[in-house]
Amino acid sequence: MPSLPEERTPFLKHLTSRRGLLKASPAGAAVAPVLAACGGGDSSSGGGDAGEPQYGGRLRVGVAGGGASDTLDAHDPTDNVDIARNYALYAALMRFANDGTIEPYLAESLEPNEDGTEWTLVLKEGLTFHDDSPVTSEAVVYSLKRILDPENPMRGAGDMPGVDPEKLEIVDDRTVIIHIDEPLVTLPEALAEYYNCIVPVDYDPDSPIGAGPFKYSEFVVGEYSLFKRHEGFHMEGLPYVDELEIIDFPEDDARVNALNSGNVDVISQVPQAQVTIVEGDPNLSIMESETGMWLPFTMNVEEEPFDDVRVRQAFRLIVDRQEMIDQALAGYGQVGNDMYARMDPSYPEDFPQREQDIEEAKRLLSEAGYEDGLDVELVTSDISAGVVAAAEVFQEQAREAGVNVTLRRVNPSDYWNPEEGFPYPFGQDFWSARNYITQTAQGSVVGAPYNETMWGEHEEWLEYLKEARTTADEDARNELIRKAQEIEYEEGGYIVWGFVNLLDAHSTRVHGLEPSVSGHPLGSYAFHTMWMEQD
Amino acid sequence: MTRLIVVRLFFGALTLWAVSLVVFAATQALPGDAAQLILGRDATPERLAALRDQLNLHEPVAVQYMQWLQGVVQGDLGTSFSNRMPVGEYLASPIRSSLTLMGLAALVATPLALFIGAFSALRRDRGFDHGASMGTLVLASIPEFVVGILLILLLGPGGLGLFPSVYAREGGPEQWTLPVLTLALAVAPPIIRMMRATMIEVLESEYVQQARLKGLSERTVLWRHAAPNAIGPVAQVVALQLAWLAGGVVAIEFLFNFPGVGKVLMDAIENRDVPLIQAVVLLIAGIYILVNLLADAIGLAANPKVRVANR
Amino acid sequence: MSGASTNTSPKTPVRRRPGLLRTAWRFGRTKVGVALTGLIVLIAVVGPFVAPYTPTEFVTKPFEADADGALFGGDNRGRDVFTRFLWGGWTLLLLAGASAGIGVAAGTVVGIIAGYRRGWVDDVLMRVNDVLLAFPQLIAALLVMSIIGPKVWLIVAVIAVSHMPRVARVIREATRKVIEQDYVKAAEAIGLPRWKIMAVEILPNVTSPLLVELGLRLTYSIGVVAVLGFLGMGLQPPTADWGLMINENRQGIAVQPWAVALPVAAIAVLTVGANLITDGLSRAAIGIDRGVEK
Repeated sequence: MPSLPEERTPFLKHLTSRRGLLKASPAGAAVAPVLAACGGGDSSSGGGDAGEPQYGGRLRVGVAGGGASDTLDAHDPTDNVDIARNYALYAALMRFANDGTIEPYLAESLEPNEDGTEWTLVLKEGLTFHDDSPVTSEAVVYSLKRILDPENPMRGAGDMPGVDPEKLEIVDDRTVIIHIDEPLVTLPEALAEYYNCIVPVDYDPDSPIGAGPFKYSEFVVGEYSLFKRHEGFHMEGLPYVDELEIIDFPEDDARVNALNSGNVDVISQVPQAQVTIVEGDPNLSIMESETGMWLPFTMNVEEEPFDDVRVRQAFRLIVDRQEMIDQALAGYGQVGNDMYARMDPSYPEDFPQREQDIEEAKRLLSEAGYEDGLDVELVTSDISAGVVAAAEVFQEQAREAGVNVTLRRVNPSDYWNPEEGFPYPFGQDFWSARNYITQTAQGSVVGAPYNETMWGEHEEWLEYLKEARTTADEDARNELIRKAQEIEYEEGGYIVWGFVNLLDAHSTRVHGLEPSVSGHPLGSYAFHTMWMEQD
Repeated sequence: MTRLIVVRLFFGALTLWAVSLVVFAATQALPGDAAQLILGRDATPERLAALRDQLNLHEPVAVQYMQWLQGVVQGDLGTSFSNRMPVGEYLASPIRSSLTLMGLAALVATPLALFIGAFSALRRDRGFDHGASMGTLVLASIPEFVVGILLILLLGPGGLGLFPSVYAREGGPEQWTLPVLTLALAVAPPIIRMMRATMIEVLESEYVQQARLKGLSERTVLWRHAAPNAIGPVAQVVALQLAWLAGGVVAIEFLFNFPGVGKVLMDAIENRDVPLIQAVVLLIAGIYILVNLLADAIGLAANPKVRVANR
Repeated sequence: MSGASTNTSPKTPVRRRPGLLRTAWRFGRTKVGVALTGLIVLIAVVGPFVAPYTPTEFVTKPFEADADGALFGGDNRGRDVFTRFLWGGWTLLLLAGASAGIGVAAGTVVGIIAGYRRGWVDDVLMRVNDVLLAFPQLIAALLVMSIIGPKVWLIVAVIAVSHMPRVARVIREATRKVIEQDYVKAAEAIGLPRWKIMAVEILPNVTSPLLVELGLRLTYSIGVVAVLGFLGMGLQPPTADWGLMINENRQGIAVQPWAVALPVAAIAVLTVGANLITDGLSRAAIGIDRGVEK
């Protein structure tokens, strides 16, 4: 079959990426979220300490996912393993710290003007790419142009609306001014995404060069890739290991086996059922990371019966959130409160925790005209670990309230297909941690790529959101966001029952792993901080 | 006899063609067309139109079928939807793995089954024979994936922990044990039964009786005179079992996560990767038909009556 | 035509039959087979009424092996394994029974018609048969399921269709032997309509291969239904079904083996039982046939 037409809009690019990402999920692996987190949060520590970090050795990492569509392209990673390799090879201007806050990475500073339409970027001094050439303003401009190319926009283009690649202004070797048509308060977030990383001028994905902690050595599609320590990496003394091998493991059982038998030192995403096996081995340990990843039920506010706000409220009251966590995630998760963007500083911790209330749910349903019970179809799919399980748990919980749920299971690759009926009246989804504003741009506002609840047409809510989007002052912005959140908390179309904890595992010889809230395994694939005990 | 084989071959080809019709028709029953499937949510009217042109979806179905069939005959099985690789190229390695697995299973099962069958015939109606007979009956009844799971429960990580229960690329040779053993146990029983039945028949034949009367040792009688005469019908059963393997391997590969064509088929079904599904089904049906033909031919060659009568 | 397989007391005088079922019963293995099959059928039929929980309620943590109140622990969602085991059999039996029954009935009709009419009818039917035979059963089922999606009627239909040619072949052979008999020729001489000859004269006289085929097809059906469930192409969650249970709980096999072991054992016992009965039947049938021919 001939290859597909090349031209792609940013909108389509996002979809492609997401669809590509799904390839890991039929294997049952928890699929890594597309975008990383932001905001303050909590994180338990893991990885263990064994004194001073030691240098040397080859770190072998088994990552969930991978397959024939593997790529090393800096700006087009889709699958989990692509993301892992991206973190090893490349570095972006900013980065998400483990608690979700944004910090400079290649950049020394990134400052907006008063109204957020002009951002001044200064690079750190003495940065080098893998070929020892310096990281310069030209490279930054080249990279952004490559991402924003109107002919072939990369997926990062969608995060930077209004950034005109032709108006990037080189001030000197280390300084670039980014002009934006309208205020973009989320630019630092966008520039912290791994897929918006910096590559040298005339970058060639076939012999990839970046400024990340490891440089390219070998790559076999669908199998493995090998990297060597980048001596010129800008973080002093890092990375610790000499060589990094990343191996594709689409199958859960195989990945755990490989760790058990010592064929790899670290694996991402341990299935919950196998945790006890790993824990039973004194040479292995589990790293559990609380994340901002959520697996909501989606109620389409334009379709019956969910066009009635009372039905939506009733459904939110049907859910026993702790039982959801216990049965669908085997306890590895945090209870949710119908609100996303958990790591956003604006997250409303003080909203009262919504609990199961069958009586109230029944009352609301009968008020809405369903006193004799209600039949609904819940469309589910194995798009991420725990999604189908949650659907089954909900089906059971709904029975108590007289709601008869039938499950329709759709192939993961067809789930977002309008032919199948997306957006479904009642469906599910998975999302990684994002800030409130970026999340609404992806899933709620009119024209969002995954507008699954059709919630964004709520006028009052939209007013607040629009205003927040163009408010550069953080406190004022958060005030506005809170107003929007209050409305969504009462009337919205999502049931956010919980946030997923990620489970990674490693040999006790490996140290320096730290959990991160991003939703990306292995502390956002922080290979540069990992080190191995040498014999 | 040659004529008979040619006739069979002709019908084999005819059957294969009919299978291709069925496989092609099945894809026509899908909601939406191939372009829709490939693009999924990326589908815009313009892109759909462009892709439909590229895929010749505007042609009448008959023409599309002819084009597809032409491709298949030339070895062009299309491009996989999910990984955009030529199907033929993608399948090369799984086919090798599956063939190795089946070959190993046949290599383990056949000599063992022949021996057990022959020994049962010699010990007719004694303890060993009854035991073997019961064992084959039980094994032949149980679906092969159940045999596999029983082996995992017994020898896998949850049981004695002798062998891994899933295959991984990095794993050692011990991970072949359970899949090979399962398949071997699945194919052996009919071979054992046929060997036993044939050997009994041969041992009772005048020919062998005469050899005995001549005072030849029992061992000579058995291996020089009886066994060669039993080979024909047994070879046929062996071939039939190989044909069965072509289909039966799917569940086994799924169970052990073995990277062969069966696994590819299950993944392709999961991803609705139609060209891949078509190719694997055609491949398995083709092998099935071919090996059945082979079994027929062996049966004909081994049976003197047919050889002479020629229908 | 589903009555075909149960029609064991034909109106025409039975000339030669000491009773297949009675003959078969004399074999010890038949008795063992009936006992084993009976045990599983009993579990499947009575199970739902004695199960301690409902099949979908949450009782334990996922894959908890020794939990209070759950004899065999919990499954992948924390539902009671024992309850789901008790609930999971009747679907398998029903689907297998239906597909075997329909397949054998259809195959019998085709076989008798082909065997009796001969000529081009025979040729066409048998060539179609050959094509159907060319598909390995499981592959055919997977192809259809993957395109249309796993539906209960479809499972039955696909398995029945895959049985049909195999049954037809056997029944055709049996029919060809029967039509040589005098009573068929006599009936033709009186001018009985063809359908009546087939239904009244031929059918009752092919019951022994028919019963053997039914047993055989039932055994295969159980296997195919179970394997489809195991491959996730059969009944869908949260149904309690033995094949599906194996699929769902496979991942926890090292932690919670019961959730896999119970359904696996049941399927093994059931298929062995069914096959023992079939074996008894076919031995009896051979014996009867020999008695007649010699």
